[in-house]
Amino acid sequence: MKPVLEGRDVSRSFGGLMALHRVSFQLFEGEIVGLIGPNGSGKTTLFNAITGVFPPQEGEILLDGKPVSRLKPFQICRMGIGRTFQIVRPFLKMTCLENVLVGIVGRDEKGTSREERVEQALSELEFVGLGGQSHRLAGSLTLLQKKMLELARALATRPRVLLLDEVLAGLNPSEILQALDMIEAIRVKRKVTIFWVEHVMGAIMTACQRIIVLDQGRKIAEGPPDEVRSNPRVIEAYLGGADA
Amino acid sequence: MKRAGLAGVFLIAILVPFFLNQYWLHVAIISLFYVMMASSWNLIAGYTGQVSFAHAAFAGVGAYTSGMLALYGGVHPALGIIAGTLLAGVLGLGLGGLCIRMGGIYLSLTTLGFSEILRIIITNEEQWTRGTMGLQIPGVFSVYSKTHYYFLFLAVTLAFLVLMRRLLNSDTGLAFRAVLNDELAASTSGIDTVRVRLMAFTSSSAMAGLAGGLYGHYLMLITPDIPSLGQMFLVLAMAVIGGMGSFAGPIIGAIALEFLSEYIRIYGEYHLLLFGLVALVIARFAPSGMVGLWEKIWRRR
Repeated sequence: MKPVLEGRDVSRSFGGLMALHRVSFQLFEGEIVGLIGPNGSGKTTLFNAITGVFPPQEGEILLDGKPVSRLKPFQICRMGIGRTFQIVRPFLKMTCLENVLVGIVGRDEKGTSREERVEQALSELEFVGLGGQSHRLAGSLTLLQKKMLELARALATRPRVLLLDEVLAGLNPSEILQALDMIEAIRVKRKVTIFWVEHVMGAIMTACQRIIVLDQGRKIAEGPPDEVRSNPRVIEAYLGGADA
Repeated sequence: MKRAGLAGVFLIAILVPFFLNQYWLHVAIISLFYVMMASSWNLIAGYTGQVSFAHAAFAGVGAYTSGMLALYGGVHPALGIIAGTLLAGVLGLGLGGLCIRMGGIYLSLTTLGFSEILRIIITNEEQWTRGTMGLQIPGVFSVYSKTHYYFLFLAVTLAFLVLMRRLLNSDTGLAFRAVLNDELAASTSGIDTVRVRLMAFTSSSAMAGLAGGLYGHYLMLITPDIPSLGQMFLVLAMAVIGGMGSFAGPIIGAIALEFLSEYIRIYGEYHLLLFGLVALVIARFAPSGMVGLWEKIWRRR
């Protein structure tokens, strides 16, 4: 089987700091893969490399076998990679409807009428549970709602792969359950492959079929949650080794 | 309610020439020029967050292009103004293409430089522009009438505002605001941010060229004051005091400040200083300007 999203020896440094060192990964159709690692291990940097915000300096990223690592962020989005942000970034001074419309306009399709696009945007809002909020300003939403709005905006771009950067951070236990349901719905109903950075371990270990672990910019482990959890290198990375 | 309000404003605007004497009619015409200037500057500064200092310079491009075509080439002002608008747009596209990628302060500095270069060229190319003496150019109408000019300015300004409104309500306008709100989020949502900002800059520059061309043919004397930084800061103050990023703000700011500056004209150039200070205070304490303050008071009641 060919991977939907693949990274081959992706490297990125900032000044003298090696933020990513030859990281390779593969995501297959319909999968949900977790990306974990201690703070500063390069998780968000990898997402930024995939989405073209800070393109990789070496190595390649392929979507459906086509290289995307030399493209600009908006082109990568149009190719089919959507994302949310660790610190939510909805368009605060725009309404929920307008936020989602941006994602639809971003697809740059010809031939859809304004009404059709509004219709689509409303159904995305409905999907993430913001049905009645279309005319509220994004800035006035709760954190959970802002996260859902970001998801709706990302979904509106019709991604094949969705990168989720700590969607659960800052949510209370009942909100976490809601968000988990949503992520599962996106994977199953929308047939989106998900790459997911998370610090809430319990959640990511139960939701993901496969976990990739980064430490200091390198991939140190990969496999099913149970295997990763008992991997001595992973434990050392999180708890600190003998020399730390 | 809103429709009735607009109709009322429109009616007043049409009746204006029948109530104002020649002097105040002149002020009204000039304020329409500033409505176009401040609104189109708001398009880039208020809606995509790029502070350009070349807006008055582009008005100068429009005024001098059209004026010199009429004077040396016998071209009709209507065609000349169109040529000036296009040239301002093309220059905007070139200048924007050079510096828009760098964004932020670099755009401001480059446009500031461009503005000064243009003013210096116009001042020194005396055989063509007559420098600071100014260039006498023909008017739009064969018979001079302020009422005619008023209606011409009013018609163009209204068409201009309708066009801007449509642009802002279109997908392009949505993209403008997305870029202003969060450039990174916009780019990862599929918006070509460089193209969007370049489009805003180009269309805004062309609009300044149009306003400048009209202005020149109304005054029938064009001087390097049109593309001066003093003029630029007046436009900036109008947009900021009126309310940047709102549609009505720059319109209200332009009319209010133009009429006000007639009253404080006796203080000479100090009125610019005063407007600058007020704009600073507003930018610091009421960033959404008079329109924003008004909305706040309205909501509290």
